[in-house]
Amino acid sequence: MPSASELAWLIPVLPLMGACLSGLGLIAFNRTVNRLRKPVAVLLITCVGAAAVLSYALLAEQLAGAAPIEMLFNWASAGSFNLQMGFRVDALGAVMLALVTTIALLVMVYSDGYMAHDKGYVRFFTYLALFSSSMLGLIISPNLLEIYVFWELVGMCSYLLVGFWYDRDGAANAAQKAFVVNRVGDFGLLLGMLGLFWATGSFGFETIGSRLQEAVAGGSLSNGVAILLCLLVFMGPMAKSAQFPLHVWLPDAMEGPTPISALIHAATMVAAGVFLVARLQPVYAPFPQVQVVIAVVGTITLVLGASIALTQQDLKKGLAYSTVSQLGYMMLAMGCGAPVAGMFHLVTHAFFKAMLFLGSGSVIHAMEEVVGHEPVLAQDMRLMGGLRQFMPITAITFLIGCIAISGIPPLAGFWSKDEILGQAFNSFPVLWAAGLITAGMTSFYMFRLYFLTFEGSFRGNDTALQAQLLAAAGKSGGEAQDQGHGHSDADHPHESGWQMAMPLVVLAVPTVLIGLLGTPWNSRFARLLDPREAAHMAEHFSWPEFLPLAGASVAISVAGITLAVLAYLLHRLDLGKLVAGRFPALNAFLANKWYLDAINDKLFVQGSRKLAKQVLDVDSKVVDGVVNLTGLLTLGSGEGLKYFETGRAQFYALIVFGGVVALVVLFGVFG
Amino acid sequence: MHFPWLSAAILFPIAAALLIPLVPDDGDGRKVRWYALGVALLTFLITVGGYLNGYDPAIEGLQLAERYTWLPDLGLAWSVGADGLSMPLILLTSFITALAALAAWPVSFKPKLFFFLLLAMDGGQIAVFAVQDMMLFFLAWELELVPVYLLLAIWGAKKRQYAATKFILYTAGGSVFILLAALAMGFYGGGAPTFEFSELMAKDFPQKFQLLCYAGLLIAFGVKLPIVPLHTWLPDAHGEATAPVHMLLAGILLKMGGYALLRFNVQLLPAAHVQFAPLLVVLGVVNIIYAALTSFAQRNLKRKIAYSSISHMGFVLIGIGSFSALGTSGAMLQMVSHGLIGASLFFLVGATYDRTHTLQLDEMGGVGQKMRKMFALWTVCSLASLALPGMSGFVSELMVFVGFATSETYSLSFRIVISILAAVGVILTPIYLLSMLREIFFGKENPELVSHTHLVDAEPREIYVISCLLVPIIGIGLYPRLVTDTYRVSIEALVQREANALAQLSHVPGKVVMRSQSPGLWPAVLQPFSPLKAPSLS
Repeated sequence: MPSASELAWLIPVLPLMGACLSGLGLIAFNRTVNRLRKPVAVLLITCVGAAAVLSYALLAEQLAGAAPIEMLFNWASAGSFNLQMGFRVDALGAVMLALVTTIALLVMVYSDGYMAHDKGYVRFFTYLALFSSSMLGLIISPNLLEIYVFWELVGMCSYLLVGFWYDRDGAANAAQKAFVVNRVGDFGLLLGMLGLFWATGSFGFETIGSRLQEAVAGGSLSNGVAILLCLLVFMGPMAKSAQFPLHVWLPDAMEGPTPISALIHAATMVAAGVFLVARLQPVYAPFPQVQVVIAVVGTITLVLGASIALTQQDLKKGLAYSTVSQLGYMMLAMGCGAPVAGMFHLVTHAFFKAMLFLGSGSVIHAMEEVVGHEPVLAQDMRLMGGLRQFMPITAITFLIGCIAISGIPPLAGFWSKDEILGQAFNSFPVLWAAGLITAGMTSFYMFRLYFLTFEGSFRGNDTALQAQLLAAAGKSGGEAQDQGHGHSDADHPHESGWQMAMPLVVLAVPTVLIGLLGTPWNSRFARLLDPREAAHMAEHFSWPEFLPLAGASVAISVAGITLAVLAYLLHRLDLGKLVAGRFPALNAFLANKWYLDAINDKLFVQGSRKLAKQVLDVDSKVVDGVVNLTGLLTLGSGEGLKYFETGRAQFYALIVFGGVVALVVLFGVFG
Repeated sequence: MHFPWLSAAILFPIAAALLIPLVPDDGDGRKVRWYALGVALLTFLITVGGYLNGYDPAIEGLQLAERYTWLPDLGLAWSVGADGLSMPLILLTSFITALAALAAWPVSFKPKLFFFLLLAMDGGQIAVFAVQDMMLFFLAWELELVPVYLLLAIWGAKKRQYAATKFILYTAGGSVFILLAALAMGFYGGGAPTFEFSELMAKDFPQKFQLLCYAGLLIAFGVKLPIVPLHTWLPDAHGEATAPVHMLLAGILLKMGGYALLRFNVQLLPAAHVQFAPLLVVLGVVNIIYAALTSFAQRNLKRKIAYSSISHMGFVLIGIGSFSALGTSGAMLQMVSHGLIGASLFFLVGATYDRTHTLQLDEMGGVGQKMRKMFALWTVCSLASLALPGMSGFVSELMVFVGFATSETYSLSFRIVISILAAVGVILTPIYLLSMLREIFFGKENPELVSHTHLVDAEPREIYVISCLLVPIIGIGLYPRLVTDTYRVSIEALVQREANALAQLSHVPGKVVMRSQSPGLWPAVLQPFSPLKAPSLS
């Protein structure tokens, strides 16, 4: 009986086989397979489920203290070069595997309810399985090269899934933007990878780390170049994990179906960047300058995400910016040299953010009954309100998620965020301050979302407001009605079915409890990932140090919540007048997302179009013009050409053919 | 004496093509197309048979060799054979041609002539890759032009005359240099003229002579590959050709340029190659970026894909100039890979045109709602073209990147600049390909298009053709050694020749003494060659 670790390669292969089967079925027998909804769903859920079982077996082995294993084979080779592929199982990977399979499984069950009425149900499940497979492959990759392979593949799945509703222009643009922005990051990742390979002759994390250090110490490589290579590689995680300034794709990616937002754009794929930085710790750790850059980028991102989230009216976009902000926290932890803390936040965040997104999906699904299938209406919080009475399960789980992300003990978010802030306090006090203030913003905007959505009275039947929102989005009312499929008959929303409610409830459990695995005085999580670090933490833990820091972050969270209660539950404060009225510039700055999209559009989108257009002009006028001119000069004068141009093609060919034959004969006779 | 696999692969399709007039004709070409498909498949089987029975990938030298004296006074002989450079391309040729025959199913205008030319081209192109005699190569190269010219000129779109004439003038203009170089090399050194590759390889050409021949051949093959700025025939030819001709143009014809560069410029003229290689690399980067940008701005679907082919060929140039086994191997793989991917994309362009009757992107839009399978096929092939991992394009581009970046022959700064610029292509490629997909398939249906045309989804034949191409694309992507192992030894020998030439260059007394000084062509400022063997920056 082989151990689970040796079978780790099956974890990505199982969903892949399922995806291939249904994908081929879709191409070959489109109609039949499209009708086989439940069988396909069951097949793919079984595949992912089997992968989940294997992942948990693997995690159990790692918990029991199994040694990490790595298996490689020669994938491509030429001369003395060998590019290797394979898989690797260690504690970090095992944690991620268990996390991804769990959430993927729950999201698939949820999707059965969410996508029930969609024509693309089977296609959706196929993409989901394909994504799971790529993501799991990324986790077990033993070297940078293989990470890059799966890195691109998850990007492709994201492209396919964001553009899932391909008849919507918004989805089409968002999908392309997601892919291209990620390619910009991959540009750096590829170059950095090549550079590191040049410098160290390896793609393996530990080997690169040790050889790079040797090379710098030995003087054969200057420190600056090493840092540059590290930062180039970091561009990959920056794009994938939506770090400033490459975060612009993530909010747009919310055009995809909500289960995707939960799985890919909140819990797993966007965390891959953080995961890669954790994997690269042996490379990054010796270079404090790299760490500082990572920490600063993380901090800018966390402030940016939270500040933009303050003004969002779209429920999903609000959550998306919240994800950006939380990813910033994780990156900050990595920059502080605390990968364990970052990974811990990754895990807790994956659970509660997946739950929040699924909750928002449940809300949107319910809203569609009232306002029709129009994202502009179904996702706008101005039309929601009072949903708690109609959908209690969604409301309660959403509230739990809000408390968790706000960092109120003893829920998950408190422990992980507090650990990051503690680490930041020790490494970079300035960044800690930014993180602390952002914690206050976080609890404010999360509770703002909650109150606007679930409390107060239901505003969904306000047709005047609907028309106004549609007009603002540049869509006519009639068009929306067309898309409504005559669905908008109910006058208030309903709680979603069990397929959607169950995952919410299941996810609520870790959201409440999982933080207790990572208490600073006895962190089981740290003991698994890095026993030395865990011992160090437990040894140096002291209440007098812990309490003030924790107290500060809880206090600022409570302040944020209080503000939200006053403004959006009790309506004692009118923030619109108080802040937006007094500081219109600030409000506009936030509402326009720091103007980054506008800058991107002007500089890169329009710029590249213009450049391409000019190159094409040069090509058709100058380069081709010279050719045509030459042709004209040499041949155009002859009367014969006239005949060729108007004459039969066969005749011309005959001449060419005859010429060649004549040549052969000539050689024959006179040779 | 073994079975003459290669001669059979060359002569069988040509002989079978000559019999086409005897095929009972019912006017619409139904029987002819089955006949042609059968012949093309048999040819494919012959090449596969040759590969399986007479070809051992572990052997460096020529295999499946046949030699019959033809015109002894001129040193002309029917000499064919295959080594690692030619074998993969011979297989690619017969494979793509068989699929092109299947792609040509709807051809109803003069089907007999069409399939005659298709089969003649099959034999001609296999001959280009298989012949081992430079005069013979020249003949095959020229002969193969005729069918292409006719296929363009008779079955093309509106501007077909212009495109076909441009094609023939360009290529024939380039061929002059092949003839001159062949004659010069054949007669060099006195004695009986010889055009046999193996004997030419043994000749020790002086540096200046090599440079001259190299320059001429570079122009000839640069037209074919194509190298910017010798490329303008290609968008026109592609813009006018029909789908099966497209597949052959993109799938095989362009590869003739890359193959010939490796075979003649690198193998026969290594001393000149050492001097020219940096130029190839620079031209490669120009190809990648220039063509990617033009492709992005193109509004005509066929031309867009045509420019994307040019862009992809840039990697072949960088690989050939990389002085590394991995990079050269990547160039070879890129040729095979692009042969498959290019053919699949052009086939899809043709299939789409059959339905939309327009190639202008502005006149499409929202097509995906009616043609879902077509959408899926397009997406997969576009992703393959933008070098998605798991497909062949990724592996070949990666090999070129890694091979070039680790090539110790070039100075570090040169490698950095080139790598960064080539990597810009990594960003540009998805921009134009995904924009294209978005404009064709995504969004609302274009009411004008829908009202004019009947958009039916992909039929089984089309899905089959694409599947046949996708199997090797994904197979190579998953396990590249499937292909690279067939030519590995030959490429290593080739790179060894380059290395010897490099070593010689640095030992010629009174000339360039150290590699630290830029050899000949290059001003000291640019200095593409590395001053030291070990990587060093500090």
